[in-house]
Amino acid sequence: MVTSATLYNVLHWLNFTVDIRNVCVFLAPLFSSLTTIVTYHLTKELSNPGAGLVAAAMISIVPGYISRSVAGSYDNEGIAIFCMLFTYYTWIKAVKTGSLSWSVICALAYFYMVSSWGGYVFLINLIPLHVLALMISGRFSHRVYVAYTTLYCTGTILSMQIPFVGFQPVLTSEHMGALGVFGLVQLHALVDYVKTKMSTEDFNVVFQSVISTAVVLLLGVAAVLTFSGKIAPWTGRFYSLLDPSYAKNNIPIIASVSEHQPTAWSSFYFDLQLLVFLFPAGLYFCFANLSDANIFIILYGMTSVYFAGVMVRLMLVLAPVMCILSGIGASTLLSKYMKGLEASSPPSAGASEKKAKKSDPQSFLRHEISLAFVAMMTFMFVTYALHCTWVTSEAYSSPSIVLSARGHDGSRIIFDDFREAYNWLKHNTPEDAKVMSWWDYGYQITAMANRTIIVDNNTWNNTHISRVGQAMASPEDKAYEIMRELDVDYVLVIFGGLTGYSSDDINKFLWMVRIGGSTETGKHIKEADFYTPQGEFRVDKEGSPTLLNCLMYKMCYYRFGSLYTEGGKPPGWDRVRGAEIGNKDFELDVLEEAYTTEHWIVRIFKVK
Amino acid sequence: MRLFVCSLFLFLVLMPKGALNDTRKKDGTSLGERVQQLMDTMTKRSVVRLNTDKFKQYVKALPRNYSMIIMFTAMAPQRQCAICRHASDEFQIVANSYRYSQLFSNKMFFGVVDFDEGADIFTSLKMNSAPTFMHFPAKGKPKKVDIMDIQRHGISAEAIAKWIAERTDVHIRVFRPPNYSGTIGLVTLIVLIGGLLYLRRNNLDFLYNRVMWAVLALSFVFAMTSGQMWNHIRNPPFLHKTQQGGVAYIHGSSQGQFVVETYIIAIINGAIVVGMILLTEAANSKTGAGDVGKRRIMAIIGLALVAFFFSLLLSIFRSKAGGYPYSKTDERREIH
Repeated sequence: MVTSATLYNVLHWLNFTVDIRNVCVFLAPLFSSLTTIVTYHLTKELSNPGAGLVAAAMISIVPGYISRSVAGSYDNEGIAIFCMLFTYYTWIKAVKTGSLSWSVICALAYFYMVSSWGGYVFLINLIPLHVLALMISGRFSHRVYVAYTTLYCTGTILSMQIPFVGFQPVLTSEHMGALGVFGLVQLHALVDYVKTKMSTEDFNVVFQSVISTAVVLLLGVAAVLTFSGKIAPWTGRFYSLLDPSYAKNNIPIIASVSEHQPTAWSSFYFDLQLLVFLFPAGLYFCFANLSDANIFIILYGMTSVYFAGVMVRLMLVLAPVMCILSGIGASTLLSKYMKGLEASSPPSAGASEKKAKKSDPQSFLRHEISLAFVAMMTFMFVTYALHCTWVTSEAYSSPSIVLSARGHDGSRIIFDDFREAYNWLKHNTPEDAKVMSWWDYGYQITAMANRTIIVDNNTWNNTHISRVGQAMASPEDKAYEIMRELDVDYVLVIFGGLTGYSSDDINKFLWMVRIGGSTETGKHIKEADFYTPQGEFRVDKEGSPTLLNCLMYKMCYYRFGSLYTEGGKPPGWDRVRGAEIGNKDFELDVLEEAYTTEHWIVRIFKVK
Repeated sequence: MRLFVCSLFLFLVLMPKGALNDTRKKDGTSLGERVQQLMDTMTKRSVVRLNTDKFKQYVKALPRNYSMIIMFTAMAPQRQCAICRHASDEFQIVANSYRYSQLFSNKMFFGVVDFDEGADIFTSLKMNSAPTFMHFPAKGKPKKVDIMDIQRHGISAEAIAKWIAERTDVHIRVFRPPNYSGTIGLVTLIVLIGGLLYLRRNNLDFLYNRVMWAVLALSFVFAMTSGQMWNHIRNPPFLHKTQQGGVAYIHGSSQGQFVVETYIIAIINGAIVVGMILLTEAANSKTGAGDVGKRRIMAIIGLALVAFFFSLLLSIFRSKAGGYPYSKTDERREIH
């Protein structure tokens, strides 16, 4: 947000009167173009300019990154990836040159990263890990010492200026790794210095005794601090990355977000295609030419591959490193084989016959192979480009507020129900009306209908959301008490049974039950009650009576029982669940229907 | 699953005795005496062993002001019910946790019925698989939900405690006795590694062996990108037997995957990368040195591997994603 404000002010100062909305909408694409440039420079540092070009070309269209940087998606990750890659670039430069100025620029880039995204924790653990790996593999040098010390001190102090971070860098376990490595780095440099000043035997004695006392002391202090609670344990979000089953068992609200689900292999392929196997090839080449910078990129690649496997959302962090390593891999392969192509050009007339004969068989054979290889690589790149453009246009370009589908004759049908409902709310309800809906739609209602809502996408207040879940899952009379307690005037539900829209509230209902039952006041809500005795979730006559009489069911299916939805099916046929609903002719006691949109997607009810 | 093996065994073995009538009013002892007897048993062990008579006396007889959680099992070796053993251990843990907790009262007791001691109980309750956990409430007959659905929840002590909490509102905190096998295993591992390092202390170069690290790193990457974390969290089946009797290795939609499928994908990825590495090695040798023929063959094999497995991967992905390029995909993200 600070970035957008700064850009807006700068543009206005230059007398380009761009509306703030346009600044926000185009911020993400602007920064992704900057990311492409940074990727080029980063890969150039790691390998050569050719690899840089390939990597930049790949990251410009990779779907994994485009999904979060579409124009109009105004979220942290749009600028966070740019900041992250810029920090990495300056870090690599600092390690390579050992200059103070690059380290300070790195610290500033790190500060920018901290201010933009909570994922900075990844950075502050990856860079110490890199330093540790360098120390273990014996590549520690004065340059690394300068770079890391400067970065840690300046960067941490700067990051503590952000109110959200505050004193976390010295209190929480997530930052302890960096502090530990900092201490280790000082020790290592001290040892190196002392070694140059003393003879070998004296040094050995001093070294061993000092090391042992230091290690014991450190461990003791760390243990005391952890057990006395001074150092807070890992918070839920990050702990669930290390122990993936933690969220599923303990915190339903983290487990329910669809982006926090683990990644199936087809999602990897969907978002990255070619890169999935160019990435290991690039890794192999990095191992072959090991250097300080290459070790960093190897570590970055391995850790992000693990995290992307745990959480779909972190595919975003994986995409840049995949592009970088694939760029290295592809350009190494191509440069070797292009040389084969060039060498195969017919020898100049001046060359002697013997020489021509000798070099001819080798180059001739390699010419065909090189041709075949280059052709295949070209084909693969073409499929990559096609795949990326197709995925972007089909999966990531649709606005989420207006839906579209193709009719039987191929014509496009537009479902503008959301905006229709929000506009109705805006114009037909009193200004201080309170609307209850599930948290997914909170921000939309606030922004477009301009009404107060009970819970929204900022899902920090778990008890409140749980209360709403209990209201949705209880029968009408119990729900009425909860709604009176929350002082609700209108209730809004999303229903896809008429159109076949599958992200509706009935499909999300089990999460409402789980979250509703997860707090004290919701103890009577048990997920098992909403299933049939056979353990299925059904909305037809076989469905569980608790489900067929709860508030959500009644709201969604009010008056639906008499509607013909699909040819050849009985009235009240739910097109998403594929079943005729069980509870049809009922009246609502505590609510009255206020508005239903054209395709029945949004339904609004007034509390009596 | 293993459960069905057990149930098959029991089917073969069940003698077709006549269905027993529930003799409900068999109150040779009064309620107070029964509760006292149960409490006495509790001082010795947490789970009451029931045979047919005791079952009728304690569980079936009325009046009753306590509820009973019964495990129906078949522990004899000839029944070969491996899962009964696991279930019995977990049940014992729950019973112990209850027995030594503050919630212990004379309102709820744990019992076990072994098939060899109470076969007629099995027939009277029409039970033909083991293990089964059943809740007999103080008032009324047990309903369908009073039988724990092991297929869905499993047999772990936590799942049993959760089911008991749902049925009886008694929340038992499962206390597992500290399991030292993990610590012992870890200590042994550290000692082994320490010993190995000590023995090779003169020549630690093998740790610096790049190829070993490269192979490790690559295998890790193949494991991750083929979706092993998804398998670890979601526990999908190994493969899927379709109704026609065929075997499906690949999951039909792009939202799910089978374990076999992930291995296939890992192998395909590995083959493509091996092909690329072969190509590199072929190109790496300096011109003039090395056997030209051998390099040529390496390059051709590498090329063939890459091309073949890439097209295989494409076709698998196409089969999952329903036409590739597809005409319509659903929105992949929740509405924010």
